[in-house]
Amino acid sequence: MSAKDTRIGSAIAAATCTLLGTTTTAPVVAEEAANWEFDSALLYYGESDGRVTDLSASILARRDFDDDRFLNLDLAVDTLTGASPSGAISTGAPQTFTSPSGDAVYTTAAGEIPFDDTFLDTRFALNVSWSQPFARLYTLTAGLGFSTEYDYQHMGANFGVTRDFNRRNTTLSAALAYSQDDIDPVGGAPIGFAQMLDVGDDSGKGGSESKDVLDLLLGVTQVLGRATVLRVNYSYSDSSGYLTDPYKFLSVVDPLTGDTLARTPGPGSQGPTGVYLYENRPDSRRKQSLFAELKHDFSGKVLGVSYRFATDDWSVDSHTLDARFRWPLGQSSYLEPHFRYYMQTAAEFYRFSLVDGQALPEFASADPRLADLDGITFGLKFGHKTASRNEWSARVELYRQTGSVASDQIIGNQAGRPQFPDLDAVIAQLSYRFKL
Amino acid sequence: MRIIFPLLVIAFGLAGCTTLGVQPWEREVLAREDMQLDANPVDAALDDHIYFSKEASSGGRGFGGGGCGCN
Amino acid sequence: MDPYPPDHRVARCERAPGSSALRRWFLFALLLAAVSVGSPMAGFAAEDTLDLAQYRGRVVVVDFWASWCTPCRRSIPWLNEMRAKYGDRGLVIIGVNVDKDRREAERFLKEVPAEFGIVYDPNGRLATSYQIEGMPSSLVFGRDGELAARHLGFQNANRPEYEVLLGKLLKVAPASAATDAAP
Repeated sequence: MSAKDTRIGSAIAAATCTLLGTTTTAPVVAEEAANWEFDSALLYYGESDGRVTDLSASILARRDFDDDRFLNLDLAVDTLTGASPSGAISTGAPQTFTSPSGDAVYTTAAGEIPFDDTFLDTRFALNVSWSQPFARLYTLTAGLGFSTEYDYQHMGANFGVTRDFNRRNTTLSAALAYSQDDIDPVGGAPIGFAQMLDVGDDSGKGGSESKDVLDLLLGVTQVLGRATVLRVNYSYSDSSGYLTDPYKFLSVVDPLTGDTLARTPGPGSQGPTGVYLYENRPDSRRKQSLFAELKHDFSGKVLGVSYRFATDDWSVDSHTLDARFRWPLGQSSYLEPHFRYYMQTAAEFYRFSLVDGQALPEFASADPRLADLDGITFGLKFGHKTASRNEWSARVELYRQTGSVASDQIIGNQAGRPQFPDLDAVIAQLSYRFKL
Repeated sequence: MRIIFPLLVIAFGLAGCTTLGVQPWEREVLAREDMQLDANPVDAALDDHIYFSKEASSGGRGFGGGGCGCN
Repeated sequence: MDPYPPDHRVARCERAPGSSALRRWFLFALLLAAVSVGSPMAGFAAEDTLDLAQYRGRVVVVDFWASWCTPCRRSIPWLNEMRAKYGDRGLVIIGVNVDKDRREAERFLKEVPAEFGIVYDPNGRLATSYQIEGMPSSLVFGRDGELAARHLGFQNANRPEYEVLLGKLLKVAPASAATDAAP
């Protein structure tokens, strides 16, 4: 038999062995059962003074497939109730407003900042994404998102790619996301600067609206050392369409006293007792942000610090500083204090109130969320890993938001009344992470 | 411009960092769950949703990188 | 008779010749340092050495793994399978563990047992000398001691191809020191 024949013979034998799989030798577990990992959470968000309360339940499921491919499913439900500031300001007399539906009225006592408490909304959100490697150093991710609530529908798609360099010490990421939102406000979307009318009168209201958003993200992640990793992201966002909040409005005030102009509802009708105009925002918004995050390990304790600077063409500039410190307790538990500081400057069209007799600006909003404001959060999280490597955790956070209005916007009697509706909220969350 | 300038500084700074990093076998700390940049996706998503509803800025976090560097 | 300088093989496969003489000297010095610090292969010293010359005539897979490396949970059972299948035909598998903390490696081995010898390389000296580019990595040496392949990472999809390579290398007659001409 020639050497060649022997080789061919052996090749056939080897091939057959492969096809037939393991022979009679001791079986070895070469396959790992495909696994599911779940991350579930129950969250309570509650503001003080009867303001917004939100209860939410979410579950994030991840299914690992062969060779670093995975599927992510994220389902969340939340219910929102409670009062939120409408943008109207406090005045010397009690105020009555028509509710967003146009079917009822609600009132605010004299000297108090008006809140609209007619909200009850339940939202469902689903996000699905798939991630897989591509040619060893690349990862591709594609996702779809959907959410729905009574007056708002969102649909989005995203696509991302990462590429590793420098023996996987450096990773470049790029992602693109596009979303289309449909807004169908209760009672119809008000025409910009339309006046709030009596119950049953919807002449100032329109129908449904939409907006679309394009997001671009570019990022670099760099390993700085055995125990340190840094990430820097630049993101750009372009929104266009209906960006106004259909439920927010501005008070029209007397140029000297600063008191809200009075109005009498029609005979036999219920309606507003003041002159209020629905807000009007630009139909486009371009935002940019620079975000940097650093994580460092101090012999088992991990410090995570991040900073984000954001700016946009509405002139809202913000700084966000976030720090977390994970302190292990024994082998299976940890404590993690958290601190966050947020600061923003007002949008250029933010107006505390509209002054009677002055020309109407092109855009205006009195939404406190567009004002100069600061937010501070203090939180503490506790987590525990069980024997089966599942993890329970609980966290409590306190959020305090304070804002201010530029003095050149305060007129007459407004100075002696509450201006910005400062916010105090509690966040409480229970989570359970488990594998199947 | 306020974004572009610091971005260029960081980009050039990091470009000079191409020799920065660790050996592939020195990633035991970076591989730990608590050292991942997306260590708590649920908390992050819930927080983002809260702050998005209460503040005028949102987003920026992103994805990818760090970890064990395996495969 | 030389102590099987790994670099010479690597130099042949991956780098332009020329600097190989200097590198060989440097790595010999490194190996000497490793020998003086650690104890001979068979022991459980803090840092072990790796002398592949004793395996000349057999096909050797040197697999670099760590407790924190997730794909290693799949690569080690598969290597166990290969050893079970081809061990009596001359396949030798050596696992090189790069964990800084030996206890982590031992904890991993309790869950994922390795049915082959483990060499401990906590300071990464062997990893450096074999120029490991990623985790996990395995180097496959033919019966003649030449580096036949480097595998970077471990993908389930690549197992059949990997096994075919081992089969091909094992086919070479043990007595022959010449490289097998491609069919």
